[in-house]
Amino acid sequence: MATYAEMQEIFDDIRSDFRYDHELNGCLNCGICTATCPSAQFYDYSPREIVQLLWTENVDQIYDAMQEKIWACAQCMTCAARCPFKNSPGGLVAIMREVAIKHGMDSARDVLRPFGRVMLKLITTGNQLSPDMIQPDHFPDWGPNIQKVEGDLKTLRKAIPVKTLQTTATAWEVSLKTSVEMYTIWEMTGVLDALELMDENLFDVIEDFIDEKREEYEDWLEEQEEDDDD
Amino acid sequence: MSDTVLVVGGGPAGLSAAAGISAAGFKAVLVEKEDRLGGAPILSGYAKLVPSGEWAKDAIGRMVEQVEGDANIQVHKSTKVTKLDGDAGNFTATLSNGDTVQVGSVVLATGFTHFDSINKPEWGFGTFPDVLTTTQMEQMVGSGKITCPSDGRVPERVAILLCVGSRDRQIGREWCSKICCTVSANLAMEIKELSPETEVFIYYMDIRTFGLYEDKFYWKSQEEFKVKYVKARIAEVTASDDGRLLVKGEDTLVKRPIVIPFDIVVHAIGMDPNEDNPEIAETFGVGLEKHGYIDKAETYTNTCGTTRKGIYSCGAAYGPETIDDSIAQGKAAGLRAVADLSRA
Repeated sequence: MATYAEMQEIFDDIRSDFRYDHELNGCLNCGICTATCPSAQFYDYSPREIVQLLWTENVDQIYDAMQEKIWACAQCMTCAARCPFKNSPGGLVAIMREVAIKHGMDSARDVLRPFGRVMLKLITTGNQLSPDMIQPDHFPDWGPNIQKVEGDLKTLRKAIPVKTLQTTATAWEVSLKTSVEMYTIWEMTGVLDALELMDENLFDVIEDFIDEKREEYEDWLEEQEEDDDD
Repeated sequence: MSDTVLVVGGGPAGLSAAAGISAAGFKAVLVEKEDRLGGAPILSGYAKLVPSGEWAKDAIGRMVEQVEGDANIQVHKSTKVTKLDGDAGNFTATLSNGDTVQVGSVVLATGFTHFDSINKPEWGFGTFPDVLTTTQMEQMVGSGKITCPSDGRVPERVAILLCVGSRDRQIGREWCSKICCTVSANLAMEIKELSPETEVFIYYMDIRTFGLYEDKFYWKSQEEFKVKYVKARIAEVTASDDGRLLVKGEDTLVKRPIVIPFDIVVHAIGMDPNEDNPEIAETFGVGLEKHGYIDKAETYTNTCGTTRKGIYSCGAAYGPETIDDSIAQGKAAGLRAVADLSRA
């Protein structure tokens, strides 16, 4: 359990985010956000409750909500589209999640662990999901529609009249140059720092991979120059 | 020197202004764009008025008779003012029927426009026949029978949604329309009087039955008519297979979303600025405030004023207003306009 000072610090980090004042204008407690929220249908999660906790600066309960509740939001932002005050409960949840990661909270670590596979895929291929990852067993929430993905994947993909999409181990081809640019963006926006906080082992693997790819890119650039010189 | 005031708009405020000008011994020219006098209460067929409980056609009807029977008041119906020349004390107004009138001052009693519920499609108006506005429900009360428009059955449950077109940044309506809470409490009691077995629920963000309306409408509707008030803003109205309406809201006690069946859903529609206000502002050279209503002059010493000298306003032209207060303000604006004539 965190001390009050720690909880206050977490709240201060949320409140000082540059988006905070834009996402939270006040609250009339009308509940249209919770009424319209798909996650509230299934989980112990209420966007109105999140807004109220922040608006009333209830640092203790904000900390509590960050243990589990904020991770139930699907970030669909229907709440933001409906709120008569133009609050964005989903936007506030996004800020809270980032602060949870920054503070290395266990809840963030637990929730994000299963996404390590996706993260690795994303860094190594530039795609978060590839056709060969879509197996019926992995997507029970798709219901009977999942059967539609069964069949000879290679042939099905060949039927797509776009050459860069005729792949199975990646969703589309990402060029080396684009990959290297993505690494720079993830580095500069703090994504890799967050990853290091959440999963050090995965971070090490990914960092090695990035170094390799950057070297590959440098070599490729040199080759191009040599070709030009010829 | 002109002994005449131009009054624009024949609703409660304009009728009151014209009658006041005549009572003070001056003349009024009353211009109304519709083909009859009476304004929203008559044109939209309101039922019993707040707070008198009198039928609109009787109460406002008396005001119309008073004005139409007054030799000092010249009435132009189905007419607009197309041009206003001159200055305070000496205006020339051109009317759409070709007439011109010399007037010393002007009262803009141009009122409001009902919010069009089509602009909140998630609440089902225009999609489901049993979703109505308060004005349509008042007309049903006037007909003496409460039934579902879809198939004529007597509704078991009626929901009234407050703040439709009010207090909503998503659609640029950042004002409270002031009257809808009390109108809805009154309407709920009228529904219960005509159809005692029907249950009426009112969904609200806050209840604003201000002043003396608190016990006469809000408390009375609960204590004597068992109207249920639920604090929740509805997310959407859909229909079930059996044709009933499904209203999706939050049960704020347990913080869970709930879906409740209803037979009729009523939108308590708000008061928009008159949709003609841009044209009115242009024709009369007056400013509009940030929501689009007629801009007020300094209130304390220039009561009833606009941004242009010699032009006055009153009632719902300034912003959401009750009928009684519109009538009082119309009288004040009429007499303020008369004071310009006396001085000129």
